[in-house]
Amino acid sequence: MVEFTVPEVDYTRYTNRQLAAVPLAVLAVAILIIAGWFVMTGAPVNQGIAFTGGTEVQVAIDGPQPAAEEEIRAAFDADPESIRSVPTQDVYIITFQAGQAADLEQQAEAAGLDVRSISSVSASFGGDTQILALGGLAVAFLGMSLLVFAMFRVFVPSIAVVISAFSDIVVPLALMNVLGIELSLGTVAALLMLIGYSVDSDILLNNHILRRSGDFYESTYRAMRTGVTMTLTSISAMIVMTITATLFGIQLLAAIGTVLVFGLVTDLMNTYLLNLSLLRWYKFRGVAR
Amino acid sequence: MVAIKENWRVILLVVFLLVSAFALFSPTIAGDDSASGADVAGESSATNLQYGLELSGGTRIRAPLVGVTAEGVDFGGDDPRVVEQAVAAEVDGAGPSDVIARIGAQPEQGTAQPQPGAGSARTVEVTVDGVSTDDLAAALDAAGYGYETTREGVTETTRQEVVRILENKINEAGLSGGTVQEVTTAQGDNFILVEAPNQDASSVRQLVSERGTVVIEAYYADGGNYTRETVLQQEDFQSIGTAQDESGGAFVPVTVSESIAPEFQQSTRDSGLAQQGGTRCTYGADPDSTEPCLLLVVNGEVTNAFGMSPGLADSLRTGEWAGNPVFQLQTTNVSEAQEVSINLRAGALPARLDFSEESGGTTSFISPSQGADFRTNSLLTGIVAVIAVSGTVFVRYRDVRVAAPMVVTALSEVVILLGFAAGIGYPLDLSVIAGFIAVIGTGVDDLIIIADEVMAEGEINSRRVFQSRFRKAFWVIGAAAATTIIAMSPLAILSLGDLQGFAIFTILGVLVGVLITRPAYGDILRSLTTISR
Repeated sequence: MVEFTVPEVDYTRYTNRQLAAVPLAVLAVAILIIAGWFVMTGAPVNQGIAFTGGTEVQVAIDGPQPAAEEEIRAAFDADPESIRSVPTQDVYIITFQAGQAADLEQQAEAAGLDVRSISSVSASFGGDTQILALGGLAVAFLGMSLLVFAMFRVFVPSIAVVISAFSDIVVPLALMNVLGIELSLGTVAALLMLIGYSVDSDILLNNHILRRSGDFYESTYRAMRTGVTMTLTSISAMIVMTITATLFGIQLLAAIGTVLVFGLVTDLMNTYLLNLSLLRWYKFRGVAR
Repeated sequence: MVAIKENWRVILLVVFLLVSAFALFSPTIAGDDSASGADVAGESSATNLQYGLELSGGTRIRAPLVGVTAEGVDFGGDDPRVVEQAVAAEVDGAGPSDVIARIGAQPEQGTAQPQPGAGSARTVEVTVDGVSTDDLAAALDAAGYGYETTREGVTETTRQEVVRILENKINEAGLSGGTVQEVTTAQGDNFILVEAPNQDASSVRQLVSERGTVVIEAYYADGGNYTRETVLQQEDFQSIGTAQDESGGAFVPVTVSESIAPEFQQSTRDSGLAQQGGTRCTYGADPDSTEPCLLLVVNGEVTNAFGMSPGLADSLRTGEWAGNPVFQLQTTNVSEAQEVSINLRAGALPARLDFSEESGGTTSFISPSQGADFRTNSLLTGIVAVIAVSGTVFVRYRDVRVAAPMVVTALSEVVILLGFAAGIGYPLDLSVIAGFIAVIGTGVDDLIIIADEVMAEGEINSRRVFQSRFRKAFWVIGAAAATTIIAMSPLAILSLGDLQGFAIFTILGVLVGVLITRPAYGDILRSLTTISR
């Protein structure tokens, strides 16, 4: 059986600047990617049909993929925007920029395709959903920040939590752009979950360092042992879930899993490099002033 | 013996689990299958869980209503009926049935005349395609009615009517379990949401996109052959009463509008309906030899046929009737009368659902087999995720006494949530399942915090040490829970709901976890670690 213990990191070997440099550089790159995306495409992230409007049809076709794609193209009057296949299931996901669900359903049925699902969202409704999702995310982030400040009542440790949480959301967003994952309702849900997960380990670290007696590095190690276990447990669950959900073609769960894995790995970095360096600075220099 | 007082948290957890199991599996709570009551398992599943469209298959249509509205209209003392006709005459392509003039927000229209002079808001709505707010403004100006504002959309009263009519339609069509509701987005846009399990998108759309016609036809022998002639349409009625049951039989009192009444009167004379002594209708038994009938035709089908009473026939012949154009639609029994009344009122939608590209609607259809696949596959995915969590926790602690209760506790949170969903009949969707995953994730995180805190620095030699450590752990858990709840609450409150289920169940799960299951885990851990010392 594999041994799993949280290693004790010798933080004394690194300065605060060195520790904070890595996560801040990653955050800067992520923001650059998102800004670049915004300049190039007009939107900070690739948006799925839930936000842009369009129709998604899933059909089940037996047989080799090229033949199936040929069949799909022949069946519909409109040109599909994309055709993706779900592994292991002989199911194809076809998206259209526009088009009425009922019309597409009739065309598919007329062509003898086995329609598994159809979902159609109009552009203006997608726009509303987008505002709702972004607004929800913003309000959630703001509420979290206020609560963190109310709980710790000191500036540096609180802002450390807030910056970590911000980075935990922004880095996965940039990764989604790079890997071509679209923003969907599932990924928005995952980003919201990240606020909760991210704050978990940050609060734990802050709490151990600020509210407990004892040596800074000893407190840090204890918080890390718990916190890293927590995050690794979540990561392992999410990796497994992503793989299974992808095989089964449950896009929502696969999307949530992928984004959470990105976010949790980012959180590991942010908590124990960025948050920790800010806390150490606060503890040894900030208080003394 | 271990005192109940010390382990009340564990006992509370067990009670909650039992209640949830009851809600999940008890046949007494199961909503629908009351008919036989013999078997524990319903025909669809062994539990009382209800599945949303994504997991059961079916169609969901969300669309706004076609229409523009003028508010604060000055009717100038005119009857709403007159206003409707005057405005309709000024709008291209609109008939009187496409214009709705309202005084106040009457929840029900029909039983009585609206109170003239009541100081409530007066509105005029036009519900045909392609009429802009400017068109409506121009029409009101041309018809000589003053108004305050015009806007897109229809009134709340109209939306409620549409919901009610669509519900009737869905029930009439036998789409069991179909629901219709009004939803409002964060931006204040109003939509009608129709959900129909096990139906494909085109059939549901066909059903709800028809406005539905109700006409009264005269059926009489013209020469040798029977002919049908439309004598009254939906818009020809000034008002439709509620079904009544008196000694003479059941009927629906209706008032024909004055402009149509003379015409109707004439046609009943011509067709022989208003003959001496009235008519006895035997359309149902022998349509080829009946006396003249009035037929109630809904969506092109004859739903009822009735004759003419002698008294009414007399007044029609003398011409008195047109001065007070009321008559009673005779039916065989009171339930049929109610049906006629509902049909007449619910027959035509005041406004159509807008399915155009830019309308802001959505349609989704999940085939029943896809739903069933999702149901088993998401269950499998969940189980696999739990196994991954268990594995990691076992590897980390290498102590079954710590790890096993952890997994059991995390699972019990899901059981309690499932029980809750079954108890209130909340339909499970993929977003709810995502919520369960979030709950297991935060739950295990919290349990790890408790375990590490409680077992820090070796042995626990007194209950007081345990209590103090437990309390410390709880500060972190409480703080994390509060943040999660704050983060999820905007989505839980906003009614536009694809992520609402996710947010609601994450919040519920965190609450259940912090208040019930995670404290119980502390107790379990204490008894396992302190007693075994």
